[in-house]
Amino acid sequence: MLEEVERKHGYIPQQVGDEVSRLLELKLERIKRAQAKLETGIRRDVQRHVARWSGEEGNLIMILHAIQNQYGYVPREVAMELSRELGVRLARIYEVITFYHYFKLQPPGKHNVTVCNGTACYLKGAAGLLAELRTQLGVGEGQTTPDREFHVDVVRCIGCCGMSPAVVCDGKTHGRVKPADIAGFLAAARATSPEAKP
Amino acid sequence: MKPLTLDDLAALAARPNPVTTDFVRVQLDTGGIAAGAEETFAAFRAAVAAAALSTPVLRVGSHGRSWADPVVEVSAAGLPPVLYGGVKADVAPQIVAAHLQSGRLIDDHVIAPASGAAELAASVTHLLVLDTGVGEAKTKFFQFSFVEELKRRGLADQVQVARALDLGVYDEGVVVTLLPAGVTYTNVLAPDVARIVEQSIQGRQVLDDLLWKRTDPQVRIVLRNCGSIDPESLPDYLERAHGYQGLRAALARTPEQVIEELKVSGLRGRGGAGFPTWLKWSNTRIQKAEPRCVICNGDEGDPGAFMDRSVLESDPHSVLEGLMIAGYAIGAAHGYFYIRAEYPKAVERVERALSQAREAGLLGRNILGTGFSFDAKIRLGAGAFVCGEETALIASIEGKRGSPSPRPPYPSVRGLWGRPTAINNVETLANVPAILLRGGAWYAGFGTETTKGTKVFAVTGKVKNAQLVEVPMGTTLRAIVFDVCGGVLEDKDIKAVQTGGPSGGVIPDKHLDTPVAYETLQQLGSIMGSGGMIVMDTTDSMVDVAKFFLKFCVDESCGKCAPCRIGGFQMLQILDRISRGRGAAEDIAALRRICQAMQKASLCGLGQTAPNPVLSTLRYFDEEYKAYIEGGPSYARKMARAASGAEPVRALATATTEGA
Repeated sequence: MLEEVERKHGYIPQQVGDEVSRLLELKLERIKRAQAKLETGIRRDVQRHVARWSGEEGNLIMILHAIQNQYGYVPREVAMELSRELGVRLARIYEVITFYHYFKLQPPGKHNVTVCNGTACYLKGAAGLLAELRTQLGVGEGQTTPDREFHVDVVRCIGCCGMSPAVVCDGKTHGRVKPADIAGFLAAARATSPEAKP
Repeated sequence: MKPLTLDDLAALAARPNPVTTDFVRVQLDTGGIAAGAEETFAAFRAAVAAAALSTPVLRVGSHGRSWADPVVEVSAAGLPPVLYGGVKADVAPQIVAAHLQSGRLIDDHVIAPASGAAELAASVTHLLVLDTGVGEAKTKFFQFSFVEELKRRGLADQVQVARALDLGVYDEGVVVTLLPAGVTYTNVLAPDVARIVEQSIQGRQVLDDLLWKRTDPQVRIVLRNCGSIDPESLPDYLERAHGYQGLRAALARTPEQVIEELKVSGLRGRGGAGFPTWLKWSNTRIQKAEPRCVICNGDEGDPGAFMDRSVLESDPHSVLEGLMIAGYAIGAAHGYFYIRAEYPKAVERVERALSQAREAGLLGRNILGTGFSFDAKIRLGAGAFVCGEETALIASIEGKRGSPSPRPPYPSVRGLWGRPTAINNVETLANVPAILLRGGAWYAGFGTETTKGTKVFAVTGKVKNAQLVEVPMGTTLRAIVFDVCGGVLEDKDIKAVQTGGPSGGVIPDKHLDTPVAYETLQQLGSIMGSGGMIVMDTTDSMVDVAKFFLKFCVDESCGKCAPCRIGGFQMLQILDRISRGRGAAEDIAALRRICQAMQKASLCGLGQTAPNPVLSTLRYFDEEYKAYIEGGPSYARKMARAASGAEPVRALATATTEGA
């Protein structure tokens, strides 16, 4: 912007310089305010979850479940806030998060496609479904498409072995899936905007 | 709901169970919902309302027939209850119009397991036909023949002929079931049609040469209420399922007497290891330390097993009742449900059961005025298979990494927060109320010498009817796979059955006549496990299966002890090499050596049992490993397919020529 002004006038007038610095400061102010708001938001959420489980021994995992339900993953800022709130070292919290497969450190995609790879689904062709997803989306197990639209994951078993192979697409379970059905799910998911997280 | 008293329970016990006749029960569990049962439920409500009928549409848990989801049970128009399978939302209005309004069954959806009835007391109103043989299905032809024959005799409007979905009889030609008596004829041929109509329908005589006399080997104790009561309703459980009568029976005795009753019943832990439940309880009880804890282990991590999910979703109160009885017997005031987070429906229903029980005064202080205080909470698992192991599970409830710790001290001595703790599997606890209610001796009447009672199996994989099965111990594997579940998918040949999940082993075709018991399965190199049973046909490669299970255990290894962490990884590398055709002859010996080291030196059950799939496939299918090493994967696949044929030698010759 300043370059444009310089080209126009041959130099940068004092008033323009002042105006620009004022605008920049305003912007900085706004960012700071948003950040503070976010931080108080996080603090409030964390305090709420901790209050819900306070007085119970061994509540860390249950609090992490509540956090993951809210955000879809465990953000670093939230984990840090939780560490302050509980008085537990951050390393200890991360030790737990990284041990359990269920907790995620990366934000999920807009749409989540989960392929069950339990034994029954494996025998009936879960690998074929994963290959089809790779062809369609270009991403494999545990990866998110570059546009953050789809996240592909594999789970151990969702207990729908009677309907194997099973795919969970945005929370809805589909049974007896054939590779040919995958394109349909993806199109349907693209067409619907994801539900807002409660 | 106002708090219950002992007198209320006694009054409920004295009253006979109300007989319900008119209902539509939609089986809403995770499996059913995945298949669209919620839409079916709504469609039934709408259709019943539109037809201005008063038939209640009820929510129940799953009966176990997950292959036919969504399943609906209909009782109306004076007919015995009829199960319908594959009822998508669009079928619901058809059932309402046909069954509820005019007493007719619809084609291709009825499931009517053979009852073994041998008498025709009432006149036949419906006739179900199904061709169970191999090859082109002749069901429609036989339906037509029966209709024609009935028309000829002027009976067409009295007897309806419908095509069935499943009649509980497999590979027995054309099967015909006469309702309402439930008499089943098998291997019916065209000339028999006239005989059946004349003698059985007109003359009410049973044709002995066609009669199917075998009855279903299943005995439902754990699954006794699954599919017949509303899992979200405490009154339903109290009034229709002798709910909390087992607890009443327990509270009337001393804790020692309760443990004694369990001893008589011979109940052993259904989580897999088969430790006697009474011994676990009495070991916890004799500890001086207070307070004590009791935990319900619902961390069903075995891929391919869904018994615990089904029981928790379909009958949560009976598991809670079992947990309370356990609490009373060992003198615990706190109980925990440890449930996988991957089972949200089960968590929701147990949560509801807990709050209902609290409201009814069945949980809390001074329960039913007996001075017994007990409360229970839910803790969620977070996707770690090793947390099914007792000590790891305890660490997880304490909010730590689920790493196992060496035993002793056993949890019954030092468990949760250092307190004496008894950990029981969901299925074990679901058995307990029934044992208290009907007596240990009754329960011990089922099963074999060393293994009493019944066991629930989740039969999946390449099987026709993937479903839950509850059979008395001692039933053969072949009976479970072929007589109950209908045999192998697409009528291929069976190769093996895998039991016990990643810690178990494969049992080849030649050993399928072994009766199921903890000891017999162990002798075959497998384990009972929690009850997952996976059927594999001849196209499945055993090396691949071993690799799949081993990969699972390597992923799940917590990394605490070296044999499991390093041994598992090395074995996986060797298996990967073999399956890509790059194996060497000495690899098999190396595998065996690592297996032995892992079994001997690992800290917990996960590492000790992780080699089982490899060892058992090596034991029964070592030619397959050799084929992979000698000829590569495509050669091995051909060999595996040919091995089931009559002449392996010739098959080998063709395979090699094709390969060349």
